Parts: sequence; C-alpha cells; structure tokens
Amino acid sequence: MEDLELMRHITIGQYLPTGSAVHRLDPRTKLIGIGLLILSIITISSVGGLMALLVVIIGLVLLARVPLGFALGGLRPALPVLIIIAILQLLFGWGASADLVCPDLWSFWIFKITGCSILTVIAMLLRLVALILLTGMLTMTSTISELTHGIEKLLRPLQKIGFPSHELAMVFTIALRFVPTLAEELEKLLKAQVARGADIRLGANPIQRIRHFLPVLIPLFLTTLRRGELLIEAMEARGYTGSVGRSHYVQLQMTAKDGLALLLVFGLVVGLIFIPFIVLDAKFLLLLAQLTGQ
Amino acid sequence: MKLSVRQIVISGLLGAISIVLGVTRLGFIGPFPGVLAVSATILHIPAILGGILEGPVVGLLVGLIFGISSWLQAPSEAPPANLWFSNPFVAILPRLFVGVAAAYIYMLLRKSNEWLALVSASVVGTLTNTVLVVGALILFGYVPAAVIIPAVLPNAIAEVVVSVVIVLAVVAAWKGLSIGKNKGSTV
Repeated sequence: MEDLELMRHITIGQYLPTGSAVHRLDPRTKLIGIGLLILSIITISSVGGLMALLVVIIGLVLLARVPLGFALGGLRPALPVLIIIAILQLLFGWGASADLVCPDLWSFWIFKITGCSILTVIAMLLRLVALILLTGMLTMTSTISELTHGIEKLLRPLQKIGFPSHELAMVFTIALRFVPTLAEELEKLLKAQVARGADIRLGANPIQRIRHFLPVLIPLFLTTLRRGELLIEAMEARGYTGSVGRSHYVQLQMTAKDGLALLLVFGLVVGLIFIPFIVLDAKFLLLLAQLTGQ
Repeated sequence: MKLSVRQIVISGLLGAISIVLGVTRLGFIGPFPGVLAVSATILHIPAILGGILEGPVVGLLVGLIFGISSWLQAPSEAPPANLWFSNPFVAILPRLFVGVAAAYIYMLLRKSNEWLALVSASVVGTLTNTVLVVGALILFGYVPAAVIIPAVLPNAIAEVVVSVVIVLAVVAAWKGLSIGKNKGSTV
C-alpha cells in the first residue's frame, strides 16, 4: 500500500513561508532569475562549471532559508531511475567530448568506460540536482498565486496584440491548484481498486495493468469533469469575466532590491558561462590518465 | 481572442490530470517486451478529451500543459527519454497539435456518426502525438528512422487501443450516450 501514497512524492507547489529575503522578492524577479539560471544549466557543459553553478544554487536555497534536505526531497522517488541512468550512461559511454582527451579506464565486449563517460555521468547528475533545487526553490519561495500574478504581468505587453495572457495565467493556476486535489482523488480510487484485487504496479503484465487501471482512470476523468462544472458555476456566479475591467488585489511593485537581485543573478550566470571551467575537467582527466598509467 | 470561463476551467482541470498521471508515473503503460525503452503513454488522452468536449482551443491548452509538464519532467525520465524530451521542440511543440487534430476530426465526422467521430478523433489524436514526436526525433537526428519506427510500432498500437477505450467510455458516460450491452451507465 506504500506505493499508493502519491501525495508524499508530489513536490509541486510546496510553499515554505520562512520570510527570507528571497521570499520577499517580486515574483517577476524570481521567474526571470530562475529562467536565467535554467538557461545556464542547459548552456554550461563542463563539470567544473556545473559544480560552481550548483554551489551558487545551494547558496540561494540557504539564502531562502529552505532546509536543504527538504528541497532535495523530490529526488528520493527518482533515485532508482537515476542510478540506472548513471550505470547505463557509464557503460555505453554516451557523449564523448571533442575538446578533451579521454583516457580509457575499463572495457569489456561492447562496454567501455572512459574518463569522459564518468564526466558525462557526473554532469548529468549535477544538472538534475540543480534543476530540482531550482524548480523546488521557485515553488517554495513563492505561492502559486504570486507566480501566476508574475506570469500575467510578464505576459501583459502581449495582451495589446490580443493574446489572452490573463486567461492563460488562470488556466495554469487552475491546473497547478488541482494537482494535489486530483492526486488525492487518484489515490482514493487506486486504493479502492487495489482493495478489490487490482494489480497496477509498474512492471506487472502491461495488458493486465491497463485493464486494472481503466476502472481508476475513467472515474478520475468523470469526477474531474464534474468538479469542473461546479467550478465554472462558482466562477460565473461570482461574475468572473476574465481580464476585462479587472482590478488586482495584489499590486506588484519592483523595488531596488529586485533590481539588485536581477543584476546579481545576471552577473553570476554570465560569469559562470564565460569562465573557462573546462580547464578543471581537463585537469581531472589528466589526473585520471596519470593514475591509470597512460 | 478571449477565452470563456468554461474553456479556462476545463483546460486547467484536464491539464492537471495530465500532470498528475505524469508525476506519479501512472500515465506510462510501460514498454512492451522486446521494445526499446520508449514508454507508451496515456498522458495525451486529456488533450484529446479536451478537444472533443470543448473544441480545438481547449485541446491546444491541455496539450500545452501536457507538453510543459513532460518537458519539466524529462530530466528524471529513464533514458533515452531524458535526453530526447529535454528538447522543448520534442516535448512541447508536437503536443500542441494532439487536441487540435482530435477536435477537428470530431467536428468533421460528428454529423454523420457520433461513434465513428469519437473513435477517429482518439485514433487521430494519439497518432498525431506519436507521429509528430517520432518525426521530431528523426528530424533532430536523435535516432535513425529505421530503428525508431519498428520500435515504436507496438507501443503506438497499444496507445491507440487504450485511448479509444478511455475516450469512448468517458465521453459516453459524460454525454449520456448509450454504449455496449447495457446501453451505458449514468454517472
């Protein structure tokens, strides 16, 4: 039954009100800052650079006064998969590097472990941890409603050309808001079916699994649609008309601190991308080569 | 362009189902034996349902949410999905068309035969997802066509069958259509 505790593993939207400096920033600042950091995760390819980036991100997490163990909680369910990816990537040596000389460490039949495949695996794991920390940070330091206000404000200029930015923000809010609710609903339906002898574990006979899963899925869709009808009625009864003539209870205000934070993040990202951390990777490979006597 | 309350709410809720099934990994029906680890999924079904029940705009929005969540989830997927779906042009772009295609097929065929329209919409919606994603993979040179097409075929068939069953059951129950031996159920 432990597999069915779905609620525990969903880390979207766990707001942690610690009242830190990061929490008090404008959501737009946080969205742009995190966007820049995600861009740097994708751009930086050297292990040295990614390590420096991870240090920066951990610094931000600590600045936000979010316990590190809590921020990394989302990693635990992914752990078995991570280990398998790491082993596969190690064995098949994906991602040879063009700029670096890779010392061969071990080879057997079609499997080959080189210095570069170790670096690739480490880089991938660093990227994953960095991404999970960043996305976690965004939702732990800002409530969903703050984020949606932020998105709406950021997209507002597009409204002039007829883009429904307010409505789009509302769609995202509703989707995120109902994730925990629907997870709970799903858990209830699953438990009811498992109690009746259904076997929906991943890895069970797929055809059996689908057959057992149908009596969960169909009620999930139907109760969700019914919930939708109620929500539509509630929103219409309260006179929801979208963005037209709508004033905001929350007025976002960019302050000097926001400017400073954005400048800082921008500087860090540019620094991380342009400092040649790849030299560290080359040093590591050289060391490995010396150790293995090549 | 303006969205109605109905379009906003239904898009959000169906998108939420796609996120929940993805995050809990219940939406992956698993690779069939002897197949590369490209998992068959049912995560696109909310987009098809959105398209059928509320039209192409809702189909598009649910597809967008499905795409974004699949992109954000990509790093924790098993290989090779983690490498392929980290690319937003593989994860998000093809998914925008799933609900739209289903909606137009349904609107086109509904007048002649409701059942035919539902079945075709779910088949076309599912194949749109499969074909466009696989097409993007081939286009980006991630995998040769000769490898991916036979590998994906059994999963595509499974996805089509499952999505037809679910779409028929949900739409029939929601709209009170009569289906099967017992002439449907009421919910």
